Amino acid sequence: MPTDTDTLPVRDSRESLQAKRNNQIARSLGWTVLLIVSLMMLVPFVWMLLTSLKTEAEIARGGGILPEEWRWQNFPDALRAAPFHIYARNSLIIAFSHTLITLVYASAAGYALAKLRFGGARWLFFGFLAAMMIPSYATIVPQFLMVRYMPLFGGNNILGQGGSGWIDTWWALIIPGGVSAFSVFLFRQFFTGVPTELMEAARIDGVSEIGIFFRIAAPQVVPAFLTAGLLVFESSWNNFLWPLLVTRRQELRVIQVGLAGFRQDSTADWSLMMAGTAMATLPMIVLFLLAQRYFIQGFANVGIK
Amino acid sequence: MSTTPGTPETLGAPLLADAPAGKAPAASPRPGKLLRKERRAGWLLVAPAALHIGLWVGVPLVVAIILSFTRYDLPRSPTFNGIQNYVDAFSQEPFRKAILNTFIMTGVAVPVSMFLAISIAVLLNMGLKGQAFFRTAVFMPHITATVAIAVVWLWIYNPDAGGLFNRIIGTFNLGPLSWLGSPDMALGSVILVLIWQGIGIKMLIYLAALQGLPTDVVEAAKIDGANAWRRFWHITVPLLRPATFFVLVTSIISSFQVFDQIFILTSGGPANATTVITYQIYLSAFEASRMGYASAQSVVLFLFLIVLAIVSRRVVGGTDAH
Repeated sequence: MPTDTDTLPVRDSRESLQAKRNNQIARSLGWTVLLIVSLMMLVPFVWMLLTSLKTEAEIARGGGILPEEWRWQNFPDALRAAPFHIYARNSLIIAFSHTLITLVYASAAGYALAKLRFGGARWLFFGFLAAMMIPSYATIVPQFLMVRYMPLFGGNNILGQGGSGWIDTWWALIIPGGVSAFSVFLFRQFFTGVPTELMEAARIDGVSEIGIFFRIAAPQVVPAFLTAGLLVFESSWNNFLWPLLVTRRQELRVIQVGLAGFRQDSTADWSLMMAGTAMATLPMIVLFLLAQRYFIQGFANVGIK
Repeated sequence: MSTTPGTPETLGAPLLADAPAGKAPAASPRPGKLLRKERRAGWLLVAPAALHIGLWVGVPLVVAIILSFTRYDLPRSPTFNGIQNYVDAFSQEPFRKAILNTFIMTGVAVPVSMFLAISIAVLLNMGLKGQAFFRTAVFMPHITATVAIAVVWLWIYNPDAGGLFNRIIGTFNLGPLSWLGSPDMALGSVILVLIWQGIGIKMLIYLAALQGLPTDVVEAAKIDGANAWRRFWHITVPLLRPATFFVLVTSIISSFQVFDQIFILTSGGPANATTVITYQIYLSAFEASRMGYASAQSVVLFLFLIVLAIVSRRVVGGTDAH
């Protein structure tokens, strides 16, 4: 018996030493794998930036990985070849509008669904959930027809005939995608976590229902506003097909459509193309790096709650 | 899912003038006037979003289903033609090929990127040095515009010797290959882009789920002497089942809606080798102006997704949490 108790700790520590060493190996292995994977994920971005700084001649020749001569002039040249600043301005206007409409509409709806008792709330909630599941390609044809035949716009008569409706207008770019069911759902998730006692107390104090929403509930979910706002802004900036369908005029082109057009109608060389692509991606990458916490909260939230 | 608004007792509350407040514990009986105000505020606040989404999602869905039974070649008006559009869709080659390609794309890209995502998430959950950088790097493709990404990949896949991939295989004296131009390789090349772009969001959802797991179960298994691999397969993976169901369904939905990459990389070619359902909808509606036919194709897309969501639930066995 005594020998048992004597030997046990020794064996134990030897085993734990072994385990520790195994653990150490596993960790370094894991770290190495992560490093390789991360670098592979970043290669296209690095290649984009490196190409955007090379001369046309160097690309034609093949050349090395790094530019022989760092040609920053490609960026102004790309702007001269296609008005990326106008495309970016249009995308910013649309992204800000979508964000603003969403923050107002979706926060109000999300709050009502999470905290107010009214008949039909449950059905409405299921409605929003169902709308989230509907693929946008299942509705895009009628959406286009609604925009095209919008009565009394763009020369259309009351029946939507005769003109072009909302085609080639800001209305078409901003209104149909104004609010997503997803953002309503996101706000509802956040508002559910706010203690109901806060609202009850305000009610007893005689604060109006709308006042409770604006002054009591909304300040409790500031992260929700940041998260939803950033997600909407990002998806709006990255949107492609809808703006492609509803605009023809160059002045209304958004950044992604402009980039696709730049590829199609110019014989621009790859350095200018990559400079344009960098201009279309860098704003969102910078925004993401600055506000990563809120983006991640938003994306992860959908999955776990 | 936490308490939904309008659980039976709260729905019933407005009917009883002096019913105790549904959620607030120990609240005093609430007078009917306040309840009426609350009800009115509820409708007022939910109305703008509900009307907007009803108008721009609900109505179009119904209209798409109706139009799918018509011949509607702009600028002519729609005329009823029964199930002809569906018969055409399933008998005409480009659309059949598109269905096949969509299923191949989804069948390859979704499982592969899910496997990679869960592996990376587990590694990221080990508390290693520099994990914030790794997480950002893996997630970055998700945040970037698909159009811009596709233009970059177009350059990487450039068929001359100057394209990055041809440079790489060139060092082994191989190639140059026409990555997107040859019918045998194009779909695979597109799938590679989708995997690269799809890992990030799946990884993030898995990582969030991993961080929410009860650590005591894993610790108990460690004491029982289960090795890391067994712990992963027999404890972590089953515990992640709700996350897996969620990731699977959302990944299938987004994989069925891939469009931008196809538009930029291949325009569905060569010889329809990479065409997908969404690309055919685009061509029918906006190149050929066949709105009825395009509507039928979009209804087919929707039905496929409903069936796949049900099948996923059967296979993975998602919990009621979703």
